[in-house]
Amino acid sequence: MDWQTLIDEPAVIAAAVLALGLVVGYLVGRLNEELLSASGVPEAVEGTPFERTAQSIGTSTVKIVARLSSWFIYGIAVLTAIHIAQLLDTDAFWLRVTEFVPQVFIAVLVLILGFIIADKSELVVGEYLRGVKLPEVSILPKLVKYSVLYVAFIIALGQIGVHVLALLILLAVYALGIIVVGTVAFKEFLVSSAAGVYLLLNQPYGIGDRIRIDDQTGIVQEVDLFVTKIEDDSEEYIVPNRKVFENGIVRIRD
Amino acid sequence: MAGLDDVFGDLVRSVDAVVLFSPSGSYYERCADLEDLDLIVIGTENAVGAETFVELPLAFDDIRERIRFGLEGALEQDLIEDGDELACATSVFSDGIDTVSRVRADVETRTGIYDLFVKSRAEPEVIKAVLELAVELGKKGQKGKPVGALFVVGDAGKVMNKSRPLSYNPFEKSHVHVGDPIVNVMLKEFSRLDGAFIISDAGKIVSAYRYLEPSAEGVDIPKGLGARHMAGGAITRDTNAITIVLSESDGLVRAFKAGELILEVDPEAY
Repeated sequence: MDWQTLIDEPAVIAAAVLALGLVVGYLVGRLNEELLSASGVPEAVEGTPFERTAQSIGTSTVKIVARLSSWFIYGIAVLTAIHIAQLLDTDAFWLRVTEFVPQVFIAVLVLILGFIIADKSELVVGEYLRGVKLPEVSILPKLVKYSVLYVAFIIALGQIGVHVLALLILLAVYALGIIVVGTVAFKEFLVSSAAGVYLLLNQPYGIGDRIRIDDQTGIVQEVDLFVTKIEDDSEEYIVPNRKVFENGIVRIRD
Repeated sequence: MAGLDDVFGDLVRSVDAVVLFSPSGSYYERCADLEDLDLIVIGTENAVGAETFVELPLAFDDIRERIRFGLEGALEQDLIEDGDELACATSVFSDGIDTVSRVRADVETRTGIYDLFVKSRAEPEVIKAVLELAVELGKKGQKGKPVGALFVVGDAGKVMNKSRPLSYNPFEKSHVHVGDPIVNVMLKEFSRLDGAFIISDAGKIVSAYRYLEPSAEGVDIPKGLGARHMAGGAITRDTNAITIVLSESDGLVRAFKAGELILEVDPEAY
């Protein structure tokens, strides 16, 4: 057999493509792992339940993501090899697979990312609320976690072509509900903080000044974003900053 | 080595509680697993998430200060009672716990250090930050020369009305809080400013260059301290503020509350 005919043989080319794919896949996996480690991903995901589950089965988030990219390239290599070797002669099947594989890859990646972000945000919110020792408050971190997970699932499902319209409507209703409840609940806070920004920037009165807001007179002890604390001889008034704008301030000079 | 256990076992025999100073996580868990043991953790932060915890404002280097302050805090929080026998485990030479000392809780030796931090008007973190600032300033000085400083913390509105400006206030319309990273950068400049720094309950630096005008009647501070300490001590009688003073002559940091000297630390020891 001639050298030239050997190269033209589809099976040989397929084998070469397969070998190349294996090598590239492995290298990309290693590169990914190094890059993720160097960019501080292990520290960022530390302590999240996803990472802990990964640890318990003897792997880690970084390794899973790196393996995933490797397997993605292996998959492409195998499919390309099959196509070249013409083991399966179905163009329609081939077309669908080439479209589908990257989408599955991205969907899985989005899911992993969603799980990690959800866990991380649960941890962060939980940490932030740790000072408040009320049982009702502990539901908030969970709520944040499942909201993030829900969005991740919708993206992943949308990616692989499942109809997600109903889920999207649910999400929109949920988001709208949060916004409505938020504006109603925090309206006073928003107004006060807007006034507070003005007070902090322009300082029409400062600590130590004697002022009157409404009918509360005293020495200013503290001005922050939401409230002004003014103190009389024995009474300390904590006045929301919006009152300053509603009623005006009187500076008392003597 | 059973003999040694007998001899040193006396140290921890029938104690009412075990006090761990800044234990590591695994050390704490080993102690927490023991039954019938009251465990108190004392440290600058509650790193092990212990239920009964007393916070130290400084990582006291002197072990006697450390234990005394910690136990005073525990007494104040009713974690221990007067006369309780305690095994205090702390570190002296290494980072880990290497020393156990048997201490008897004593209400009589109470100095009010714990009150200074926890029961003052200003927030404990603010007082802690100002104290660290004064210690840092005492350590560094200005070009190697000792400097003095006077910080009045809390009840800022009243203090402002009991003082007058010596010059323009460099902190006018600024929003600098003690504990901000910028404060450490400005540290060197601080020592050039004369007069007192006034800091609000929440830690905002309200003013520098303030001349304090309290009435010094009946202020009882040790003789030999200068005008700075006298002014600092007196203002705490007139207002609900506390003052932290860095002495130029002997380099010590002192804290006053209600006209009394509460705390005296040497910056060089930290």
